[in-house]
Amino acid sequence: MTTAQAPALNVENLQVEFAVRGGRVQAVRGVSMAVQAGQTLAIVGESGCGKSVAMMSLLGLIPTPPGRVVAGSAQLQGRQLLGLPEQQLNRLRGAEIAMIFQDPMSALNPTMKIGDQIAETLRVHVGMPRREAWRRAVALLDRVGVPAAAERANQYPFEFSGGMLQRAMIAMSLACKPAVLIADEPTTALDVTIQNQVLDLMQELQREMGMAIVLITHDLGVVARMADQVAVMYAGQIVEYGSVEDIFARSAHPYTLGLKQAMPAVAGSGERLAAIAGSPPDLFAPPPGCGFCERCPYAMSICQRTGPQLLALDAGHSARCWLQHPQAAGQPAPVYRSEVQP
Amino acid sequence: MSEMAGRQSLDLQLSADDLAPLPRSAAVETVVRPSLSYWQGAWRQLRGNTRSMLSLLTILTLLVFCFVTPLFIDFDTSSQDLTQISQSPGLARRSLVVDTAPWGGVAAQYREAAPAAEVFARSRVDDLRLQEAPHTEFVRLAWSALPGAVSYRVYRHILEPSAATDLGLPLGETERRGQVWFEDRLKLKTRTYYYSVVAVSATGAESAYSTLAATPRHAISVLDAGLRGLVDSGDPEVAGTEVDLPRHLLGTDYLGRDLLARLVVGGQTSLFIGLAAPLICAVFAILYGGLSGYLGGRIDELLMRFADFVIALPFLLFMILIRVAMGIGPGQSGVVPLLVALVALGWPSAAKLVRGQVLQLREQPFIAAAQLLGAGPNYLIWRHMLPNVMGVVLVSLTFAIPSAIFTEAFLSFIGMGVAPPTPSWGAMCNDGVASFLSHPHELLLPAAFISVTVLAFNMLGDGLRDALDAKLRD
Amino acid sequence: MLVFILKRLLSGVITIWFIASATFLAMHAVPGDPLANPKAVSEEIRQNLASRYGLDQPLPKQYLVFMGNLLQGDFGISFTQKNRRVNDIIREHFPVSALLGVLALVIATAGGILWGALTAIYRDKWPDSLIMLLVVISISVPSFVFALLGQLAILKLNSWLGFSLLPVAGWGSLAHMWMPALVLGLGTMAYLTRLMRSSMLEVAAADYLRTARAKGLPGRRIFFRHQLRNAILPVVTVLGPAIAAITTGGFVVELVFAIPGLGRYFVQAVQQLDYTVIMGTTVFYGAFLVFMVLAVDILYGVIDPRIRLVGAGGE
Repeated sequence: MTTAQAPALNVENLQVEFAVRGGRVQAVRGVSMAVQAGQTLAIVGESGCGKSVAMMSLLGLIPTPPGRVVAGSAQLQGRQLLGLPEQQLNRLRGAEIAMIFQDPMSALNPTMKIGDQIAETLRVHVGMPRREAWRRAVALLDRVGVPAAAERANQYPFEFSGGMLQRAMIAMSLACKPAVLIADEPTTALDVTIQNQVLDLMQELQREMGMAIVLITHDLGVVARMADQVAVMYAGQIVEYGSVEDIFARSAHPYTLGLKQAMPAVAGSGERLAAIAGSPPDLFAPPPGCGFCERCPYAMSICQRTGPQLLALDAGHSARCWLQHPQAAGQPAPVYRSEVQP
Repeated sequence: MSEMAGRQSLDLQLSADDLAPLPRSAAVETVVRPSLSYWQGAWRQLRGNTRSMLSLLTILTLLVFCFVTPLFIDFDTSSQDLTQISQSPGLARRSLVVDTAPWGGVAAQYREAAPAAEVFARSRVDDLRLQEAPHTEFVRLAWSALPGAVSYRVYRHILEPSAATDLGLPLGETERRGQVWFEDRLKLKTRTYYYSVVAVSATGAESAYSTLAATPRHAISVLDAGLRGLVDSGDPEVAGTEVDLPRHLLGTDYLGRDLLARLVVGGQTSLFIGLAAPLICAVFAILYGGLSGYLGGRIDELLMRFADFVIALPFLLFMILIRVAMGIGPGQSGVVPLLVALVALGWPSAAKLVRGQVLQLREQPFIAAAQLLGAGPNYLIWRHMLPNVMGVVLVSLTFAIPSAIFTEAFLSFIGMGVAPPTPSWGAMCNDGVASFLSHPHELLLPAAFISVTVLAFNMLGDGLRDALDAKLRD
Repeated sequence: MLVFILKRLLSGVITIWFIASATFLAMHAVPGDPLANPKAVSEEIRQNLASRYGLDQPLPKQYLVFMGNLLQGDFGISFTQKNRRVNDIIREHFPVSALLGVLALVIATAGGILWGALTAIYRDKWPDSLIMLLVVISISVPSFVFALLGQLAILKLNSWLGFSLLPVAGWGSLAHMWMPALVLGLGTMAYLTRLMRSSMLEVAAADYLRTARAKGLPGRRIFFRHQLRNAILPVVTVLGPAIAAITTGGFVVELVFAIPGLGRYFVQAVQQLDYTVIMGTTVFYGAFLVFMVLAVDILYGVIDPRIRLVGAGGE
């Protein structure tokens, strides 16, 4: 990393396990990433790849036990998040680092007024008096584009549409102007048209408040539209990391290629959408080699024996694949290879 | 970030062998997982649940206890062993055969004249003693005469008396002047009694009391033992020998009836009602609910409205009402009215479940697929609907059984269930109420059987529901 | 909301009509005419009944008379006791049962919520196991056993203390009520504890609880404002059946503790085959329960905004 400014969120070698009957599932196996203020990092991967677990573990939101952060560090504006006692973590959660979730319908308390749920954050973190917090909540609802905010603040979640709820959710998470916003599939549960509106809103608010966004998604369309940096995750590890151009124009990992081919807009009309055959490895007993090699059309013998490490290609672009090894340069595979190899 | 790590990998030298394409074995692609049928999977899940398996074992044991043991042992539920009334559970008892001929008493030695009234009030009878070793046929007391006493009052208490007002049960007053003995033949048990004797003067004043503790042993009269065939009553030597009484492993009730026998036969009644009523309900519910769900539309609405009304009836009140309305004639056990009432009021909830399940199934793609493939309604019902409906029915059945057993117990307890002398666990509880304080086993034994049965069925139901739910979720 | 209440009220009235009709039918299905039995009924009462309820008339006519009387709030007249009206019996004995029932319901609900919340807090630790064991016992043991054991406990307590702290049976003061109310509420309390536990655990796994934690709310606030509040809602929905269970459970408790409530009166009437009293009290109890369920529905609507605002959602 060459940027002078300290990243808003910097995660190093995060490892998360879940105790299950007869052993442990290694859900996150050494994830490192960083996001700058005002920038968006997208984490892409299929469900179960550990992208949500990694982010939730930062906020202490995974159920413990069975979940446990085994190793790693996570710095929020230079302050260590992992291992903080609950009380200190509570001061940061919702205030400095906020999170919004996939299904706004179930993520809001069904028996509490929307306004109260927003005001609650302000009252707890800022210590605002009740009336002021309510006024601020109404203003926030207005800001995120909820019409007739003063009345709707008095309503309950079931009276809101999905899109409106996600707006309210965003208002709630941004109430204390956090430095980092983690958005876990914020648009997956919404209609396509609503999705665009919500994404627009997030970008607008990011410009206004300058927070860093970590966007968890499996939708490459959303990635293309929102992200500055992209981390592609597979089986609890980052398999490719780079700028959005790197990922789309210079895909260096067969899994990224596969994801792209499975995406309608990239595959283009008339072309056949190609699903990635097979299923991810069982993280109860991770394979010794590359987790993707059983599904990889370009797999070599070494892939099954030894797991590759992240190989740097260009500045800020790296991939976890033996194909990027200098000696594998001759291997036939349509992946991007760095020209500045040593 | 990970550039250092990257270097290490780059430093690694790969051989040509490393770069060879990965040979693919076909086995990698196939997922090895045995496919289990719905019931197999549920059974496997249930077998893994220790509590459910223990419950199942308990239920089987109870069934064997109540329905199989009578095939080998002849249980007598009605004969009354009057020598052993309200007997506590235990092994065979030895009993002393005693001659119960009337007692002539002991002679009194008269002493000096009556003392002053205050002296009399402070004095007490001396030498209060047991004339013979005490046993449950009689306890014979004797004492020395007290000067000035015209008669004596004898009391019996189960606790040690603490004051003259706390002497316990008044057994009687001696009738003849100078009678200084008393024979107690009043429902004696093998426990400690405290006998108190108070002398009464000619003016009716009472003396202080003397107390004696006595613990009778079990005894049977020569006549009784002869009638029971335990001894030859013609034998003059027989008094004073010991005999073994009939064994009552779990004791006897207030009429001297064997509790074990009554628990077995009572269990037949209780379990029969508890199993038969829900079973009939389930069959009816499948027909009613299945028809309602299958037909749909207005008929469905009408049928379900009626079911809702029946559900709204206050259950126990109508149980009683139907039971009263049907009445029971002499010699009838009252099992049939109970069954009718349980079925009449119990079917709707299961029927609604079945109907819901059928409605849900109708929308399932595999039904449409089967129809497309030309499956007729018979095939659909037998092959697809019924097996899927059986799951919910089985679970609701398992929960209906303990509730039916409870209802039987409740009704029998208030005297509205099974009619005497037919035993049922609930009716036995009712019988045991009167003697609960002195002989709690008469109530607690049948109550324990009810509780264990209800508990076992409830836990089995929990496990079954979890197993079938897990299977549905897969 | 008003539409919701009216709809419920209407269906309640229809249900009561159904209950009354079913009662009438059941009582007239008695083999043989109970009135014709000269031993059961004195001539005087028979005359009285016959003229008042048209018992000499055909069945449909009798039904109309019965319904007409019910509409005027007349539950009938005793079959075995001269000049005793069922209304008087209810007026005299029902308040006793109601008082006992309310006390039992309060104990059951408060206990159920408290124990249920505790088991959820201490999930899989020993307090959870202990409470759930007690719950299983309370659900499996018949209520009359608890009633008798309760009496025994009072006896032992009094003899241990050396004076009479609580009366063993009877009615009249608050001291008379505790043990019967506890025994009466026990089964319902166990049931509510179980319900509350699963409800608490369900809410604990809900997305909105995760949101609350992500918001950085203190644990206490999450527990009370977000978890407990939502977990109590299902408990309110079963209060209707709970009231029914407590009402009928009162039969046994009143019998064992010699409490002069309507339940004991009803059981006595059943044992004496006092048909009209059975009929009257059954209809009364039925109507009472229907209204209680209705009241609980409305209460639930008030508590849960989803029902309060949408209206008749709870069919």
